Amino acid sequence: MAKDMTLLWGSGSPPCWRVQIALEEKNLQGYNQKLLSFEKGEHKSKEVLEINPRGQLPAFKHGKIILNESYAACLYLENQFKSQGTQLIPEGAAEVGLMYQLIFEAQPLAQKIGEVLYYNWKVPEGERHDSAVQRNKEALKEEMKIWEGHLQGCGDFLVGKSFSLADVIIFPVFAYFIRNGGSEERYPNVAAYYKKLRDRPSIKKTWPPTWIDGPGMGTLKDI
Amino acid sequence: MAKDMTLLWGSGSPPCWRVQIALEEKNLQGYNQKLLSFEKGEHKSKEVLEINPRGQFPAFKHKNTIVNESCAICFYLENQFKSQGNQLIPEGAAEVGLMYQRIFEGQILGQKIADVVRYTKKVPEAERHDSAVKRNREALKQEIQTWDGYLKGSDGYLSGKSFSLADVIVYPVVAFFFRLGANESHYPNLAAYYNKLKVRPSIKKTWPQYWLEAPGQEQLKDL
Repeated sequence: MAKDMTLLWGSGSPPCWRVQIALEEKNLQGYNQKLLSFEKGEHKSKEVLEINPRGQLPAFKHGKIILNESYAACLYLENQFKSQGTQLIPEGAAEVGLMYQLIFEAQPLAQKIGEVLYYNWKVPEGERHDSAVQRNKEALKEEMKIWEGHLQGCGDFLVGKSFSLADVIIFPVFAYFIRNGGSEERYPNVAAYYKKLRDRPSIKKTWPPTWIDGPGMGTLKDI
Repeated sequence: MAKDMTLLWGSGSPPCWRVQIALEEKNLQGYNQKLLSFEKGEHKSKEVLEINPRGQFPAFKHKNTIVNESCAICFYLENQFKSQGNQLIPEGAAEVGLMYQRIFEGQILGQKIADVVRYTKKVPEAERHDSAVKRNREALKQEIQTWDGYLKGSDGYLSGKSFSLADVIVYPVVAFFFRLGANESHYPNLAAYYNKLKVRPSIKKTWPQYWLEAPGQEQLKDL
């Protein structure tokens, strides 16, 4: 089972991290894995392209089944290994509805973080504008306020009383935000959630190895 | 059941359309629904904001459960109404995996279409560049060629032999692509998929009324 799985991943990438958390939660330790370097361009190597022609990480295989989109891998693992490890889809219509809502709402959140952090990678020099940089920052700020609101009065988990796919998928995004300088003072609910879950075994075990050595860049400190 | 559901939607919007397809497939006809107008700004009306504070369509409520992200609604409906209507998550690991993979790749496709056709809505005039327009078109062309490849020699549906959530979610994007003037002869496998599913009852019944009444746009005719 786990022995038939292979994960190619990069450190500090929320999409890769969420797959690792899912594998731990479903008791699928022992999968084959290889840490690759974005900086060295290894996400475009032949090894990755053979699994993921898009040249992106994570690249994940279970036997012949390929799942390169991190959400797809997480949903697949819960679907196929429902009866082992942690149950990641809750009981109850309201909780299920909220879980799916938050999972998909997290996509604009991750997108907006990317638009600020990766601006200079994605936009060629001749096309960059301070007005765009400003607008992207404002958009992220508005988005973070929405999430700060979602977490108001939240228990230990994003959905109800138990850890779910919402936490698997979204915790890495908040951790990434804070790692990149996001303010814990301005977003106390997000910070509280982050602190509550960072010692969960599946999360602690898979904490990005490149984050242990020192603080990150402060790019998001003004958001 | 359906009587406890309310859908606020706009015509021609792939996210709204996929929810309507899902409701038909799960035999949930008879839900309360209201067609609203993007052009008149009704997506920002009080009625919508009460369900979806983001002021977007679709806005969906089932009793007290609110789900506004279209993919979330589709997953919620299959999860809660698994035993009625058509089974939208297939049996078999390979089909399930492919279904999830295509669903999330479908979002990349949707994004690249939006980057082309919504360029002037999203990018202020002073920030527009021909180089960006060109790059977005090239990226869409590559993406759509990838999808044409996925459907080559296909069993007819995105995940294999049966209609699944992948078709519910991605078909409206494909239909939108052709509505925007794309040339079927450039993408024959994708066109075959598009034409084959046009007559599926759930799709035919919910086809955007406006598309039947007015000719399509031409933005993608040279792609």
